Amino acid sequence: MATTNAGNISKGIYLIFKGIPQLVTKTEFMSPGKGSAIMRVRFKNPHTGSAQDFTYKTNEQVEVADVEKKEMQFLYRDGDEVTFMDQRTYEQATIPFSLIEDQFGYLTPELKVTILFYEEKAIGASLPAHVTMRVTEAFDAVAGNRVNAPKKPVTVETGIEVQVPLFIKTGDLIVIDTTTGDYLQRVTE
Amino acid sequence: MKQKTWQKIKANQELLPQYLMREKVIDVIREFFKSKQFHEAQTPVLVPVPSIEPNLEVFKTELTTSLQKKRSAFLIMSPEYSLKKLLAAGIGNVFEITRCFRNEEEASRQHNPEFTMLEWYRTEADYLEIMDDFEALFIRIIQVTQPQADLTHWEYQGEYYDLSSPWERISVAEAFERFAHIDVETLLSKSQLLVVGKEKGYRVDETTTWEQMFYQIFFNEIEPSLKNSGKPTFIYDYPLSQASLARKKQRDPRFAERFEVYLAGLELGNCFSELVDAPEQRSRFEADLQARKTLDKTDYPIDEDLLAALESGLPQVAGIAVGVDRLIMLAANVDSVAETLFFPANELFDL
Repeated sequence: MATTNAGNISKGIYLIFKGIPQLVTKTEFMSPGKGSAIMRVRFKNPHTGSAQDFTYKTNEQVEVADVEKKEMQFLYRDGDEVTFMDQRTYEQATIPFSLIEDQFGYLTPELKVTILFYEEKAIGASLPAHVTMRVTEAFDAVAGNRVNAPKKPVTVETGIEVQVPLFIKTGDLIVIDTTTGDYLQRVTE
Repeated sequence: MKQKTWQKIKANQELLPQYLMREKVIDVIREFFKSKQFHEAQTPVLVPVPSIEPNLEVFKTELTTSLQKKRSAFLIMSPEYSLKKLLAAGIGNVFEITRCFRNEEEASRQHNPEFTMLEWYRTEADYLEIMDDFEALFIRIIQVTQPQADLTHWEYQGEYYDLSSPWERISVAEAFERFAHIDVETLLSKSQLLVVGKEKGYRVDETTTWEQMFYQIFFNEIEPSLKNSGKPTFIYDYPLSQASLARKKQRDPRFAERFEVYLAGLELGNCFSELVDAPEQRSRFEADLQARKTLDKTDYPIDEDLLAALESGLPQVAGIAVGVDRLIMLAANVDSVAETLFFPANELFDL
């Protein structure tokens, strides 16, 4: 059983919380001046997708979930489930949609993502830091107030909206940050 | 290259009011206390002996003269000791808005290593009058900075709070009873509190102290309940060990006259009916210094000048420390103190 100091907990790792591996989605270190320093952790439950906060003492030992990672390709979504495939073994894995709801808009066909397994069961997915997507719908915008670095919304191939600079046109390939949803750059083909 | 705050403001002047909220809030604070005939003091930020905080780390430096006189020097964690010396000197009701510093912490949503503290002290008063001051001050800040706001339905970050007077007042013992179902005898007994804590699922081993379990329950069960109440809350009368500068309660000496005030899940201030008994203060300082040693914190002596001030006689006084950055963050309706600072530490030091 691997453990770590609660002061070292970081976003993106899995801990055993309430008996099951849960994803850490947010951490906040605080030294309130009363008592010892604390680490506020937000967990995402892999079964329900719901969030729960817990506060540890920073010097407390917490159990790290021994999570295995495999690179797999996005295949399809079917209702509440999303299916991925290992390109070498053709093995498939299915995870609840609720777990990757926030990032689903960045899943392009055949995108390679890291699937996390705990005790041989798929419990989550982690996307690349950025993805490249094609703009499917962009309106011409008039350059207005240049001081305010104007942006406009466009739709990309997965159907989500992204705020981009005014020069982006339908058919352009753009790079998007999967954590913040921000436009990063245009790709020249 | 990430844009700096000044560059973002240059590109978008609409951001400016959010950052100028600091100026407005500080103006309101100053007018509030001046109108009540408080004096405003300016005490040193660089001191030879900082305040004794068992759980906080200090910025240490060295003062050197041209003749090579060398002295240890520290950036203050609070102006409290200097202000108490002024109270002994007879300054009367006093407030100060000053920079304070804490090392070895994260620059986080609620905290910047360099921050602005407001302290005020009322003579011939106790912590109840400071509660009244705080309530009136906060309401005034919102009335001035958000003239359109409805105090009974005040919005902060998408949630609504009832700021109208009177605010909730609940003792620590009542809060443990109500929100964690722990009675006062269990709360104050180390062995019993650890048993209950273990039953609740907190990690308990041979090194777990009463204080650790107290705060585990406080942070996981009391604080979230206070936030969900939708009212600002004064939580008062702390177990004596958790109030090193506070006076014992006359009616129940197991507790000390200390309160903290919470709003929207944030602790906004910490107040004591101040301890004015020098021998008692010395023994509590010694215990706190021992705790600092155990925790491997920077070593420094007791401020003998403060004990001399207490020995010389201090009026009955109550005082509070308030994080001004958090008040600004609430008034500006932003999610982090960094969004109220022109030069947040994260950006400044590339943390």
